[in-house]
Amino acid sequence: MSSNKIGLIIRREYFTRVRKKSFIIMSLLGPLIMAGVLTFAMWTSIEESDDQKILVIDDNYPFFEKLHGSDKLSYSIMDISLPKGEALLEVSDYTALLYLPENILQSKSGQLIFKKQPSIKVQRQIEETVQQYLEISKLKEFDITEGDYNRLKAPFNLLTFQFKGVGAEAEETNMLPAIVGLVFGILIYFFIFMYSVQVMRGVIEEKTNRIIEVMISSVKPFQLMMGKIIGVGAVGLTQFALWILLTLVLALGGQFLVLGDKYDAAQVKTPMTDMVQQQVDQEQSLNLTRLSQKDNLFNKIRRINFPVMIAVFMFYFLGGYLLYSALMAAVGSAVDNDTDTQQFIFPITFPLLLAYILSFNVFENPSSDMAIWLSIIPLTSPVIMMIRVAIGIESADMWQVYLSMALLVGSFIGAVWMSGKIYRVGILMYGKKPSLKEIFKWLKY
Amino acid sequence: MNYILEGKNINKYYGNFQVLKEINIAIPEGQIFGLLGPNGAGKTTLIRTLTQITAPDSGEILFKGLPLKSFKSSEFGYLPEERGLYRKMKVGEQALYLCQIKGLDKKEAYAKLKPWFEKLEMESWWNKKVEELSKGMQQKLQFAITVAHNPKLLILDEPFSGFDPVNTETIKNHILELKNEGTTIVFSTHNMASVEELCQNITLVNRGENILSGSVSDIRKSFSKSLFQIKFKGSKVAFANALGFQFEIDEIIEHSDHTSALVLAHQGAGSKELLSSLIQHVEVISFNEKLPSMNDIFIDLVGRSQSDSIKQ
Repeated sequence: MSSNKIGLIIRREYFTRVRKKSFIIMSLLGPLIMAGVLTFAMWTSIEESDDQKILVIDDNYPFFEKLHGSDKLSYSIMDISLPKGEALLEVSDYTALLYLPENILQSKSGQLIFKKQPSIKVQRQIEETVQQYLEISKLKEFDITEGDYNRLKAPFNLLTFQFKGVGAEAEETNMLPAIVGLVFGILIYFFIFMYSVQVMRGVIEEKTNRIIEVMISSVKPFQLMMGKIIGVGAVGLTQFALWILLTLVLALGGQFLVLGDKYDAAQVKTPMTDMVQQQVDQEQSLNLTRLSQKDNLFNKIRRINFPVMIAVFMFYFLGGYLLYSALMAAVGSAVDNDTDTQQFIFPITFPLLLAYILSFNVFENPSSDMAIWLSIIPLTSPVIMMIRVAIGIESADMWQVYLSMALLVGSFIGAVWMSGKIYRVGILMYGKKPSLKEIFKWLKY
Repeated sequence: MNYILEGKNINKYYGNFQVLKEINIAIPEGQIFGLLGPNGAGKTTLIRTLTQITAPDSGEILFKGLPLKSFKSSEFGYLPEERGLYRKMKVGEQALYLCQIKGLDKKEAYAKLKPWFEKLEMESWWNKKVEELSKGMQQKLQFAITVAHNPKLLILDEPFSGFDPVNTETIKNHILELKNEGTTIVFSTHNMASVEELCQNITLVNRGENILSGSVSDIRKSFSKSLFQIKFKGSKVAFANALGFQFEIDEIIEHSDHTSALVLAHQGAGSKELLSSLIQHVEVISFNEKLPSMNDIFIDLVGRSQSDSIKQ
């Protein structure tokens, strides 16, 4: 009977919010913005609008004589000194100068001097071309034919998955989970803030609408409060799920549009590839395989352990949300209108704000004392622990995660209990704004 | 008499302030019961304790002789004085929701709401948003929602506020109809004329205390100042002579075809003596004892205690 009533309240709170225009707009706009940013980032790193005309200074001339480019990228190999080349670059329409020094086989490096910064894609392409040229020339040195070399090569694709707890990974792959963790942490901050304020607004609305007395003659105040908290929380989860889903759809779509057929080629990494690869022009296939492995952001994203991340997100979002929304429900019940809430909201949300601000420090230094403390204290742990988990926690430090989770559960139970007592009295009090002292007295009513 | 709801020695404090002081109240089943009192007397708090919204600090509340916990919220309907609706919800949705909260399933709720929407001519509102309704329309909707689930006990706090005379009459008739169907109604109001018209029994609360309880007719008789209203034809002198020294004219007004007078009886004299003396001297058209109105009694009791408190 009573659980049925809570169910009714949850349903009402959920559906009235989900059907609102603002919810629908937010659900669509959020992913559009996120996918837009992602796609734009990829587009700027990949797309090259101008043709590149590169002046190549080969100190071992004519070693690189046969270096040839593509439609948008042409090489002119010259046997001149670097200062002369620079002078030529200045007066000609060459876009960049590629300097390949005499000791290139030992130093394995060259220099690109540009007028206008070329895209990462162009830089990679030059790198690939020179590297491959060097490889082929070395094959000749060891008297191996290109065909033999290709047959020797065994393409192997390693997808890495972080073992939970033992987080030692290479620097390069470690950055991305940290960034994703930061994004998730900030999402937690926003969601907790946005939806706990909605709980408070809802309570104030019921109070100022004066429907509260009708409601609590039918249901217990605690049921009404919990129903609202759970219903609004479900709205938050729905929004989160929609964002993730739509962002993925849009980002994949965006990636497809930007990368076009190249993306397809990268995708075709099936057993058939070996056969196809031998038929395709060797240079190009090499280029594409490398491009797909190094530049494809999505390959990197795929390596993040999303099930764990989403599970941790869910736990800390729900725990943090329950804690904060219970406190906000108490605030809502104690006041008559939005303007009176300020003095109470600030002290309550200050730890959350602090966690948000410090999240960037934690991102850079996840194992500092500050990060550890903030990830254990319940009011800041939802944001901070999310980032720490994403970066990776040593198995010896796992107790911090368990302690943080236990404290969060304990404190939201405490907060719900206390808020229930304040709420019960507050919702029937009209008129003057109560002081904190009076609110604490209500606990004893 | 069977009491549907009894409160015994109810005390309630808000902090150090005692809102209800040893209140005893008994609501007879199947009647319209008036709960009266000036603003701030503790009526709303008393209603809230009777409806289990807040618990009393001490005292006992019985529903049909059993402890209050045994009765479900679905057995009573409560229309608070400060009432509202979710403004953004549609009328029909809202009505269904509030009935479901009372324990009806959706189908039942719809079946019970429909006749009320018809009776109160609100069918066309079903898909409108609550905020589109006028205040009076919202009041009507609230009334329908309160009564739709057929509660055994109906608590109406100022049910007529916000209604025009036509709607007041409609709602009043529906309240009487519900009473005739066996619903017990607790009626809280400042409108004493409607108390006289509707209520059989009342309790008057002032400053947290029950200062007067009983049936309306008994109370009015007990507050009687032995005033008689007489309409007659004939000379005023003859009328005055008939009164003798036991009675005294309080007021006399001549109309075109008759004269009306208010006569005050002195100690011990009654209607029998007055009437038998009068009919020998003038033609009596009507004769009745003028009982004090509930309004007079209310002002008398509450006003007196207020002036006492000022003196103190």
